[in-house]
Amino acid sequence: MKTSTFILFSLLLVFSSCQKDDEIQLLDIVSERFDNLYAPQNGGVDQRTGQFAPISGEFTKFNFSTGQVTNSDSDWDVAFRATSIIVNGGISLGTIDEPTRNGNASVYIASGTLASVTDVDVQLLAQDTESGYAIPTGGGNGWYTYQGPPVNLISPTPGKIFVFRTNDGKYAKMEILSYYKNAPDNPDAYSDESKYYTFNYVYQPNEGELGF
Amino acid sequence: MIIGSASYSQSNIDTISNTKLEEVVVTATKTLRQLSTLPMPAKLITKDEIAKSSSTKLSDILDDQPGIFIVPDFGGGNGIQIQGLDSQYTLLLIDGSPIIGRQSGTLDLDRISIGNIEQIEIIKGSSSSLYGTDALGGVVNLITSKAKDSISAEASYKISTFNTNDISVNLGKISQNGDNLNFYFNSFNSNGYDLNDDPILNTVEPYKSYTGFLRHNFKKNKWSYFSSVRIYNENQDFTLNENSYGKNIINELGINTSINYIKNKNYKLIFENYYTNYKNDEEFRLNQNSIEESFFNQSLFKSELRSIYTINKKNTLTFGLGFYSELLKRNNFYREEVSQNSFNYFVQYEGFIFENTNYVFGARYDQYDEYESEFSPRFAIRTQINDNVSSKISIGKGFKTPDYRQLYFNFSNSISGYSVIGFNAAKEIISNLQSLGQISNLIISQDEFEGKLKPETSISFNLGFNIKTNKSTVFDINFFRNQISNLIDYKIIASKVNGQSIFSYYNLNKVYTQGIEFNSTSTVFNDIEISLGYQFLEAKDNDSKNQIKNGEVFARRTPSSPTFQIKPKDYFGLYNRSKHNFNLKISYAFKDYFDIYFKSKYRSKYGLSDSNGNNLLDDFDDFVESNLISDISISKNYKNYILTFGVENLFDYTDRENIPNYPGRIIYSKLNITL
Repeated sequence: MKTSTFILFSLLLVFSSCQKDDEIQLLDIVSERFDNLYAPQNGGVDQRTGQFAPISGEFTKFNFSTGQVTNSDSDWDVAFRATSIIVNGGISLGTIDEPTRNGNASVYIASGTLASVTDVDVQLLAQDTESGYAIPTGGGNGWYTYQGPPVNLISPTPGKIFVFRTNDGKYAKMEILSYYKNAPDNPDAYSDESKYYTFNYVYQPNEGELGF
Repeated sequence: MIIGSASYSQSNIDTISNTKLEEVVVTATKTLRQLSTLPMPAKLITKDEIAKSSSTKLSDILDDQPGIFIVPDFGGGNGIQIQGLDSQYTLLLIDGSPIIGRQSGTLDLDRISIGNIEQIEIIKGSSSSLYGTDALGGVVNLITSKAKDSISAEASYKISTFNTNDISVNLGKISQNGDNLNFYFNSFNSNGYDLNDDPILNTVEPYKSYTGFLRHNFKKNKWSYFSSVRIYNENQDFTLNENSYGKNIINELGINTSINYIKNKNYKLIFENYYTNYKNDEEFRLNQNSIEESFFNQSLFKSELRSIYTINKKNTLTFGLGFYSELLKRNNFYREEVSQNSFNYFVQYEGFIFENTNYVFGARYDQYDEYESEFSPRFAIRTQINDNVSSKISIGKGFKTPDYRQLYFNFSNSISGYSVIGFNAAKEIISNLQSLGQISNLIISQDEFEGKLKPETSISFNLGFNIKTNKSTVFDINFFRNQISNLIDYKIIASKVNGQSIFSYYNLNKVYTQGIEFNSTSTVFNDIEISLGYQFLEAKDNDSKNQIKNGEVFARRTPSSPTFQIKPKDYFGLYNRSKHNFNLKISYAFKDYFDIYFKSKYRSKYGLSDSNGNNLLDDFDDFVESNLISDISISKNYKNYILTFGVENLFDYTDRENIPNYPGRIIYSKLNITL
């Protein structure tokens, strides 16, 4: 009786310690929503005068592992300036105030819903280059659709899911929901403030895991 | 001249409808044909119907027709939609010769006053086998009036809301030696209207226009001659404030001649020459120092020789040979001017198989340099199944050549900085921009612009039945399908360093339109005539349909909600197409005292653009609500006078954002005097 209890006990111990080992190996996948990431820029085409000034201004950087905006020069994965989105990997396009890439982040745009993109296709990952960003700029090219006058609205294109390899070699996926402050249901380009990103993202914190 | 087959069929037709006996059209076959014997879907709008509706512009009268929509274009014109095909795909003729001046593809029907129109002939489905380019959805031909008496004079004046004045004068003379002259003059002016809250710009700024039309025909022995001159002038001024103002001027000229030689009762030659020019100049002055000017100057010379051989009473053979010469100068263009000459050859056989079955077979070859040449056959057959029922089947190919904008455009938006360039201009413009370091990302390789842009083509199919239930009611039902290939659309070919895109034109899509059109006319109590029309339309892009089927298309419920995948049933179809359209017309002649005319048109919901970013119209997009527009008028005929009082858009329906061509309720009065 005693023996068997001991065996049972030790078995449980082994079993539970195994479980404990698994928990240590696999961290929970992070699924979050980030509201109102402000990404201002200076210059561009003035809506009133039609004059063009060179685009400048700091990019707003984001780190997936902390889930926060950061000022770090190296620990960031993706950064935003107005409608431009860059990754911390590759070569700078050389615009004013554009940060140097000192990491190894990369990205591609998958087609689907945030839930339907379940695996990373590493072959598709690309970095910024001196001739263009990995996430193409301009309405209809990359992540958004620009609806011209009179509405002048920037809407995230449905079905565009960013798949990232982060600076520290993990993976994340992101869907931008809105470009306007507080992600209104029916944004108005004239009354709602723009350059405020709201996005859903899923971060896979486990090294080498390609699935979400 | 009456073609044998037409006179043959009269005996059949007598039993169908006595009133339709005299309805003869020329557009379907380029020979005179009785409307009721035509094997392709055709519709005739008579002078009576034009008069009854008090319409003065072509857009008004066509808007009353079932299955036809008048669709405003962003460029400002109001174009026609037939069988779900846009204005670009419909050919518009006056006395058989095309009207030009499609600045952005749409031909503005408000340009055409109809005070001298004897009848409007509408052939639905492709007629490229006779007319070549643009005749995919249909052909609308306006036949002008001849003088009917030795001396005739008719004048009308219509005044309506927004201080709109329309004055028409027709003067006719037939001289003793047979010269038939008719002169028409129209003056139109309107204060325009304003549907928006914008205190500066109106929806339609005040404008005025003048039309002059002089026609002459003359017959001597075996020769007959026809000639006409048409001029049109339109002026519109914009004033924002004392420093910012502009004007828009349109000038049009058309000279048409035709010589007929009738050798004998079997053989006839027709030689037609036509020259037309359309000019539009716009000038806009903003704060004195910046002047924006645009111009568009298009000319067309067209020559055609036809020989018509009437083999016997039932069979007619037509041969044709034609030449086109076109010239266009406009701003935002890759070249100072572009021109093209082209030849075409066509043949047509009209015949009978059995006593009760007639057919038309035709084919045309259009030879082009700038794009691929086109061969367009058509076959149509009609059977009188019994005294009350007849069937029609027609199958034909249609095409539309790329317009010069699609080939040579070189446009950059000065405010947001995007560019649109034509296919033929793309290679050079892109390499220039590349050498200037302006291109950040080339999406399409330049090699793709090596070839030629292909004409858009369609296969059109129509199956119709004409059924007479009793002496006073006639039904018409027609099933149609138009399958279009090589539809030209634009897509992004490169991005510029400033982040904006460069677009160019491409043969991209396959689309189809299909549906059912139903018409009936019946007379009740001898003095009430009721006509009903209905069209069901489905217009879809084949490629979009496949993408949805493959699960590649996504949408959001609101602009800020997460993406989901859309299902095939969520796909609504092409923009600006309504599934359902009802028309009702009731005319009531109250003894000899007065006439009442009521008409109503229902258009079910439609979408104007993609509002949820997936580049197609689905159930989750924003739609224009369905609408019902009703008009009523009452006329009194007294001796040589007809006085009409009427209300258009009785229930004052407006939708300022989506339907700028509905100004709301219009009250009018019209006086017509005949001498």
